[in-house]
Amino acid sequence: MSTIWLQPKTLPEALAMLAADPALTPFAGGTDLYPAQAARFAWGEALPEAILDLGALPEFWGIAADATQWRIGAGATWAQLRDAALPAEFDVLRAASCQVGGAQIQNRGTIGGNLCNASPAADGVPPLLALDAAVELASLRGTRTLPLGKFLLGNRQTERAPDELLTAVLVPHRAGDLRSGFEKLGARHYLVISIVMVAAMVRMEAGRIAEAAIAVGACSAVAQRLPALEAALRGSRPGEVAVTPGQLDHLAPIDDARATGAYRREAALVLVRRLLARLALPEALVA
Amino acid sequence: MSMSVTLTVNRVPHTVQLDDPRVTLLDLLRERLDLTGTKKGCDRGQCGACTILLDGRRVNSCLALAISHDGAEIQTIEGLAEGGALHPVQAAFIAHDAFQCGFCTPGQIMSAIGLIDEGQAGEDPERVREGMSGNLCRCGAYRGITEAVIEATRSMAEDAQEKAA
Repeated sequence: MSTIWLQPKTLPEALAMLAADPALTPFAGGTDLYPAQAARFAWGEALPEAILDLGALPEFWGIAADATQWRIGAGATWAQLRDAALPAEFDVLRAASCQVGGAQIQNRGTIGGNLCNASPAADGVPPLLALDAAVELASLRGTRTLPLGKFLLGNRQTERAPDELLTAVLVPHRAGDLRSGFEKLGARHYLVISIVMVAAMVRMEAGRIAEAAIAVGACSAVAQRLPALEAALRGSRPGEVAVTPGQLDHLAPIDDARATGAYRREAALVLVRRLLARLALPEALVA
Repeated sequence: MSMSVTLTVNRVPHTVQLDDPRVTLLDLLRERLDLTGTKKGCDRGQCGACTILLDGRRVNSCLALAISHDGAEIQTIEGLAEGGALHPVQAAFIAHDAFQCGFCTPGQIMSAIGLIDEGQAGEDPERVREGMSGNLCRCGAYRGITEAVIEATRSMAEDAQEKAA
């Protein structure tokens, strides 16, 4: 067997390995990569010949705050994100983390892998778009930071160059009365791939919405923010502004095995309304 | 490419030579160590039949490469009973008829042990159902499974209290 398996112990070592052989497949939790490869193998395609196992990189793990932002290591698992003591704006990401697969998947799957796999139904993407997250990409050539919306290019396509690793997700600090939440629609309650999901973060000031960030996933190749709705909500009282189908016009949901595009569009509207109503509840605003 | 991995499985160390790095923990347990209690259901992380405890946390062994986990501690269904005494979760599954065909049961039990250890669900049936959602039972024994997990949670907490007293 000529299969290559490399497990670097430091980030510089990992980047050197990747620079020397950009065909290496980065491997973290394995929860996306392995099923995808097994499915291809079942159809007669070859399994990956070269694996770069990121499991031993200390730089990859951990969630920490500095003066300006939160730094979530790319290897942070859903379980870590679910259980971490993060402020209220992260409720949206915490709720999404609770709904990715079951606990076994949450113990292994990583946020970095979720972003790099770039599935249109990636549950990590809408929450991070709503939080204005950026990603940090490292290579021997240097480190760069990209807004998440610029990193994700399409279905399974990202800005990551073959010699780069996504090392961290960066989320700016926020102050004020922050509320955030996540709504996911699947064919059943748990353990399901999203048909539609909606993530929202609102900042309240004197009973009005000072800032709203709303993102819809699984309704376009890359999850989308809703800028027209966000603008309409700014300065309004909760419940005062109606959510209209026109504010979701730029979504492009497709027909597939899980739902039709028309159903997705309808469901997205319902979920946006439901989530905003939930975030506007008095207990949510006081809590 | 020759390589080896050393794993402690049910408190016994094993060193296994691998001829391919893509061997999963599940295949290593079943094919190399003859520990066939851990089941291969879907082999793609959807059913939970292959659930084991890896360094104390429940994972799908079908999605983990064995080579990545050199030095790890693994617990499988075979390591639960001590002498002739069943683990409290095993006993509760029998008491509540928490299975029909039994294929998913080893994974259910390992997952339940992980859930109880995480200490998040307590005795709330809805939280237990959510916490056990990574394990499918195609016979539909969910009602018994939920009851068994709640009873085991209670009995293990009582045992811990007695030991502490």
